[in-house]
Amino acid sequence: MSPALVGVGALLVALLIVELLIQLNFISRFIVPPPSEIVGSFGRVIVEEHVFSRFLLTLGECLTAGVMLTVFGIAGGVLMHRFRLLQQACETWVAAMAAAPLVLAYPLFMVIFGRNAWTIIMMGFFAALPPVILKTIEGMANTRKVLVNVGRSFNLTPTQQFWKIMFPAALPTIFVGVRLGLIFALINIVGVEFLINYGGLGQLINDLAERYDLAGTYAAICFVILVSVLFFMTLEKAERWLRPID
Amino acid sequence: MPSNASANDAILVADDIVVRFETPEGPITAVDNVSLMVRPGEFLSVIGPSGCGKSTLFNVIGGLLAEHQGVVTVAGETISGPHKSIGMVFQEESTFPWRTVTDNVGFPLELVGMPKAQRIDRARHFIKMVGLDGFENRYPGELSGGMRQRVSLARTLASEPKILLMDEPFAALDEQTRLLLGDKVLQIQQQLKQTTLLITHNITEAVQMSDRILVMTYRPGKVKRIVDINLPRPRTSEIVGSEAFGRYVAQIWSDLREEASRGMQDEEKHALEHHGAAS
Amino acid sequence: MATTDRLTRSVAAEPLVSPVTLLRIAIILAVLAIWEFLAHSGLLYRDVVPSLFAIGRALYDLLSHGDYYFNLGVTAAEIGTALLIGGLSGVAVGILLGANRFLSKAFESYLYYLGPTPKIIFFPIMIMWFGVGPGSKIALGTLSCFFPVALSVAAGMRQIDKVLIRVGKSFRASTWQMITKIYLPAMRHPIINGVRLGLGVALIGTLLAETKLSNKGIGFLIINAYSTFDMPRMYAMLIVLFVLAVGANALVGRLGGLEDIKRT
Repeated sequence: MSPALVGVGALLVALLIVELLIQLNFISRFIVPPPSEIVGSFGRVIVEEHVFSRFLLTLGECLTAGVMLTVFGIAGGVLMHRFRLLQQACETWVAAMAAAPLVLAYPLFMVIFGRNAWTIIMMGFFAALPPVILKTIEGMANTRKVLVNVGRSFNLTPTQQFWKIMFPAALPTIFVGVRLGLIFALINIVGVEFLINYGGLGQLINDLAERYDLAGTYAAICFVILVSVLFFMTLEKAERWLRPID
Repeated sequence: MPSNASANDAILVADDIVVRFETPEGPITAVDNVSLMVRPGEFLSVIGPSGCGKSTLFNVIGGLLAEHQGVVTVAGETISGPHKSIGMVFQEESTFPWRTVTDNVGFPLELVGMPKAQRIDRARHFIKMVGLDGFENRYPGELSGGMRQRVSLARTLASEPKILLMDEPFAALDEQTRLLLGDKVLQIQQQLKQTTLLITHNITEAVQMSDRILVMTYRPGKVKRIVDINLPRPRTSEIVGSEAFGRYVAQIWSDLREEASRGMQDEEKHALEHHGAAS
Repeated sequence: MATTDRLTRSVAAEPLVSPVTLLRIAIILAVLAIWEFLAHSGLLYRDVVPSLFAIGRALYDLLSHGDYYFNLGVTAAEIGTALLIGGLSGVAVGILLGANRFLSKAFESYLYYLGPTPKIIFFPIMIMWFGVGPGSKIALGTLSCFFPVALSVAAGMRQIDKVLIRVGKSFRASTWQMITKIYLPAMRHPIINGVRLGLGVALIGTLLAETKLSNKGIGFLIINAYSTFDMPRMYAMLIVLFVLAVGANALVGRLGGLEDIKRT
């Protein structure tokens, strides 16, 4: 028996049991709507709540944050690798930033940027920046010594050394950093959308919850999970595609 | 051919063991109708070329491999899983890196609920026996490979098994360390009158330590010959230079060489079939 | 035992303060100077960048009044409980998945793909199920930290040196003995790392939930400062929070790292 089938099967059985418990009133349908109702509300939610355009909005925020963190993250990492003193001074600070709950400063960002998309984008950007910087530094530091020596044996200038050897060698690790950054960005963006009640998918959940549309809320959460899972899988595929170059 | 000594006084009997595995290339028979018996206090070595199934046999007797035909009995009791009278020493590094030497050796005593003070005392006794006194509070990471194997040995001895079952415990060590550790094991075995079954591929080691040697064929592993080693006891590694020793080694090598070269030819054929196509 | 050769460079004149420290001090001073300039420049809307003295005063105010500590206690208790429940269930599920190939193939990918989703979106459900009090915050924290712990432990189980498992079996250790004396000690690094990650996300989940709907706790204080536009107080609270969060993370890391001195 294939394990994947067992996994899916177990999930379906669990949903069936929940459906039964609710229909038999062991669980109140005002706390947990029956799965059948949730599935039934998918169509309504997609159309009436303009899920697609909301998705595009969230996607746009992610892409903006994504571009920013790629540019500034890699640049920051490269700078810190190039200037050893800067790295020694600041790397632990960046690592501390990675461990700090930056997203909790969202009220502060709201004051600075207002209750709009920029708060969301900036939040995603800052929360996701540290891993990109750290992985860039790591990638450049871990370039195999022998490759560097090959460059030196050909008398490459520092600029050539960087573009022809160090950077390409570091790319796989850098991409891991960018992937981590994009994931953090998505998590924070959707989260902040929910919290400040503005934006795309995150805001949808908040909206439906405040309107006490139970089935709709659950449905919207399912959408977000779906989007996040697809996003994650796409990034993994992209990384695997990039890896063979290693 | 199995030894004809009566099985009545044997403490360990393996009767007609057959082990087959499914591999991608089809079923292979690792162990083919192997029978052996060990008398109390006896040191029996099982020797064979790589691929003769001796490690498989080790796992069967130790009770870690359930899928086999044939029966293993210890003092009359059929085993079905690791038996409390059998203590195993593995080939790989097996000390617990997060425990001190004392805590490693005391592990089997901890499992049966021996109180702490008593445990430390018993552990110390066996640590001393393997010659590691002074290292009680060190961690395995601070010891050499040979010392770590001694810790593993002490740990198994601490459970005071009726039968000591060892799978090439010195394979990873250099020859000199191996000979000296072999001395230690002999000394301990003679002191405790410990029944021992040693799996090895090293002829010198086998002849140095054993009362009898069971030579296995290459896969499918069968018993090729049983040799009685009539060298005087107590023995030390000095015996390695004696004439009688040399004769035993030569005898066993001639048996083994046949099997080992069969093994090599088989491996070469296998490599050609599977990798030749790729070029 | 291999000893690492350390190349010691003899420095002619060892500077009193290392260049690294000097650079750090310089950066900090520069940032503070720019900050203070912005605060007084009137370029930004009032109090978005409050003067450092205002922040300092708010910090003093905050830490010298009992009710901050009360709220800190509430939040800490919520996070602690979430970490306990989420951590223990994470370890249990992780051991199960790591030990059993079949279960792992069937269910682990669910955990893997659900892990990086923003758990705060489940908050409305948590409120429905556990009410508006600490229960829903603890539930969200638990949900957040369950995933990284379970995944870390499952991976850790598979990395345990197989021979150690065979040693345990050869001594006929019971399942409970196997778990407590072999699996868990062999996995102390993955477990500590999982707990670190778990602590981080439990902290975030619990605090965000507090900012959304609560009348106690640090999160509540932060959003309260926002709604009363008391910026110096908000900055003060964020500073304290970050210091505590980074400190807690370092502490857990140390707990895992300290053991390294003896091993290997």
